[in-house]
This record gives sequence, structure tokens and C-alpha cells, in this order.
Amino acid sequence: MDDFWFEFVEVTQSIGDGVLFGSTYALIGIGFTLIFGAMGKLNVAYAAAAMAGAYSSLAIYILFDAPLVVIFIVSAICAAILGYLVYLTCFRFIPVHNHLAALMASVGGLFFIDEVIVHATRGSPLAFPSMFSEAYFEVGPYGIRGDLLFVFFIGLISTGVLLYVLFRTRLGLATRAVAQQDVAARLCGMSIHLTNSTTFAVAGLLGGIAGAMTAAAVGILSPVMILPLTIKGLIVTVIGGLGSIPGAIIAGLFVGGFENVVMYFRGIDERDMYVVALLFIFLVFRPNGLFGKTITRD
Amino acid sequence: MLKVDNIVTRYGTIEALKGLSLEACEGEVTCLLGPNGAGKTTTLFTIAGILKAHSGSITFEKDNLTNLSAPGIVRKGVALVPENRLIFPQMSVEENLVAGAFARPRKDSPAIDADLEGIYERFPRLKERSTQPGGTLSGGEQQMLAIGRALMARPKIMMMDEPSLGLAPIIVEEIFDIIRLLNKEGVSILLVEQNARMALKVAHRVYLLEGGKVTFNGNPQEMQQDEVIQRAYLGAGSV
Repeated sequence: MDDFWFEFVEVTQSIGDGVLFGSTYALIGIGFTLIFGAMGKLNVAYAAAAMAGAYSSLAIYILFDAPLVVIFIVSAICAAILGYLVYLTCFRFIPVHNHLAALMASVGGLFFIDEVIVHATRGSPLAFPSMFSEAYFEVGPYGIRGDLLFVFFIGLISTGVLLYVLFRTRLGLATRAVAQQDVAARLCGMSIHLTNSTTFAVAGLLGGIAGAMTAAAVGILSPVMILPLTIKGLIVTVIGGLGSIPGAIIAGLFVGGFENVVMYFRGIDERDMYVVALLFIFLVFRPNGLFGKTITRD
Repeated sequence: MLKVDNIVTRYGTIEALKGLSLEACEGEVTCLLGPNGAGKTTTLFTIAGILKAHSGSITFEKDNLTNLSAPGIVRKGVALVPENRLIFPQMSVEENLVAGAFARPRKDSPAIDADLEGIYERFPRLKERSTQPGGTLSGGEQQMLAIGRALMARPKIMMMDEPSLGLAPIIVEEIFDIIRLLNKEGVSILLVEQNARMALKVAHRVYLLEGGKVTFNGNPQEMQQDEVIQRAYLGAGSV
């Protein structure tokens, strides 16, 4: 019985840690889903731009020994600028209905950003300042890592601010209007390009925060983190339902918990295999994801 | 008031409007009739800036609209109630209406709130459903919402594309009552309709479009006297 109890605590502990870390996936998923919601297109370069934001903030840290808050802000701003540049180069001038061209352009964007980072860092990992890594809270048989808790709270606040902007401001109204009915949005006086570029920049802000969160939780920044983050972001977006923000949040936390419990039972080298299998299962049995379709009259 | 002069609009290499000219006068209901594919919707889309005219010019009062973007044109006081209504389906009825006032400056917000109340008085059904998603409304309610949304921009001229499309006859009557009332309140109207009989009752001036050109223009009485048009659009002998 004691063995079972010990095992139970270990499993739930790893799920809990995973869910906390899953907030980074949720943020990346929200970014993908925001852009998909606005344009109906996938921006595959998104997570790479997010990591590039984190790299820029690391440079600020190394050069000026900047404090923690500044690092997150710089990461967010740089990723927002990169997000806007990705919009300009991969989406703005590509005909609206040519989805494949935009997708391929953003795949190109992903590899370009990846190559630039590899070149600039010679491909080797760099230490990223971890935050509250010495803090540790004990709750009954469980322990909560301070850095994961910090990451989770940042994710919570960012999501809250985003939802406020989306549902309570003029900018949010325009974003949703353009996403739902672009012709009517133009007739109401909204500019499609202005709204879309703002959406890319706002998604970039979130990505930059998520990038810095990931690096802070892991303690390093490495080019090999880019592809897994991209893939997990896409998985979260699909599981949550393309275009659904609540879906992305729930799916992000779910994937975080799921991968950690897989890691507990099967080890780190099998972890991502099961996560990708999860994507496959969803695509076959629930292709619209958890919150994919909303029902309307026409 | 609104003057369209010899415009050519293309979809790729296909010319949809082949040198179309028309004029809508202040305080009047101007009606565009014509068969499917004649270019009625294209005309309204070109005026509203959704499509770009390849050549020709569009002037409204003293402003040249030809090279303005859609947002710029709404700001000049030209609004369009599009065909099929194009409601924002996941946004609430109230948000749909507020979106209609997007082009107005932020300092206008007390006036915008008052206009919103005005729309609710005009369409009590919209007030009842103000928190409901636009996509869940019936066709007639959506048409009222689309009209309300366009009114929120405080247009001087309102273009309406097939407002009676797909609606039950009793609702069609209601929509035409609204058109009449709006016109009486001083909004000029440029109306595209398939329902020629209803349209002729409210119109002051009628243009007939065929193949991207105007083939007839006159007042409704003149139109009803024209035998060829009689036969093609109004059902010969029954008027």
C-alpha cells in the first residue's frame, strides 16, 4: 500500500509540474491560434520568432546585466517586432487565397531564423538566468518548484491581459471582426493590413514572453529548443481547435501534464514520441480539436 | 450627390463594369435593377472601395472617392449594407452595432452611445437579443442588424444590396418600410434589388444595368411605360 501511495504522489507530482510548465505551450498555442483565427493561415515561423526574442533578451542580460523584469519585456518586444517582420515578409504581399504560398514562406521564415540563431551562437547552448529556482514550497506530500510557479503566473497574467484586449478594447473588436467577416470589417472602416499586422505583433509579444519563460524554466537557451517548441505549439493549437483561445489554454496545460507523466513512465527519450502520437490520435478522432467549431445558423 | 463616371472594374481580365455611369441625388432613393451578373453588386463594391476601379471616377459631394480605401470612404459618409448581410457571427448583436461606428472618432463616444439607443428604439428585436451572437439571429433580424450596423456610421448615403434576399414576404414589407422611413429622415439611398416591383414603389430614380452598363435610366413611371422592360422585369400585362 505504501508503494502505491508513493507511486501516486510521484505521478500526480509530475503531472502538476507538467501542467505548470504547460503554460508556456499554452501561450505559444494562443499565438498560433490568434494568427490562424485572424488570417486562416498557419504562421510556422512563430515559435522561432519567439525564441529569437528570448535570445535578444539574453543579449541584454549579458551586456547590461539587466534585471528580470527587463529581460521579459525585451524578449516580448523583440519577438513582437520579429512577428511584424514575419507578417511583412511571409504574409502581407502574398495573395489572400494562396494559403500554400504563405505556409511555405513561413516555413522558410522558420528555417531562416533558426539558421541566424545557430550562426550567431555557433550552435551551442547558452545559460539563461533562471528565476526563483531556489524557491520551493511544500504542500503536504507535494513540492512546488518556484521557477515553475513563476512561469505559470506570468502565463496566467499574459493570458488575462490578452483576453482583456481582445474582448474589451477597440483593437480587440477589430481583430475579431476581421477574423469573422473581413469584407464587413472593411465596410465598418477597419483596415485589414493594420489589424493583421497588429495581431502578429500581439501574438509576438506573447511568444516572446513564452520564449523567455521556457528558457527561464529550463535554465538554458539552445537552437535545438526551436523545433520542439514549434511542434508542440502546433500540436496544442490542433488539440485545442484551430482558432480557439480557451482550447489553446486547456490543450497547452494538458500537453504539459501529459508529456511529463509520459516522461515519468517511459523516460525523456520517448516523451515527444507520445506527444506527437497524441496529435495523430486527435487528427483522426477529433480533427476539429476540443473547441474547434462553433454553431451558428448559417 | 454621388456621381459615378464611366467606371471600369475588372476581376482579373474579365471586365465586370464596362464604363458605367450613374448619379444618386440627395434625399432620393436611387434603385439599380438588372439581371444576375449585370454588375450591380460590383458597382456597390467599387463605390465602397472593396473593389478598385480600373478607370473612371467616383465623386461624393466634393470628395473624390476613386482612390480612397474602404475605411476612408465610410468616413466620408458612404455606407454599404452588403448582400447576404455579412454579420459578424460570433460577436454579440451589440458588438456588431458598435463595430459599425468604428470609423467614427473616439471623442464621438457619447453620440455613438445615443445612436446605439436610437437603433434599439428603431429595432426593438435587436435590443431583446443584444447579447446573443449575431450568427444565431433569423434572416430578417440579421438584415435589421446589418442596416443598424451601417446606420451606426451615420451615413449621408446608404447603399443596400438586395436587402430582401431570402426573406419572407411579410419581412420584406418591413424592410421596405424601414427604407422609406430612413429616406424620409433624410438618408439618401442607393438600392440594389431583384424584387423590382417593391423597389419601384420606393424609388425616385431607376437605373437598369445589363452586362456591366446602364441600359435605361429614368423615373419609375417611365420605366413602367417601357414595353421591353415591362416584359423582362415586371411581368408583362400585369401592372
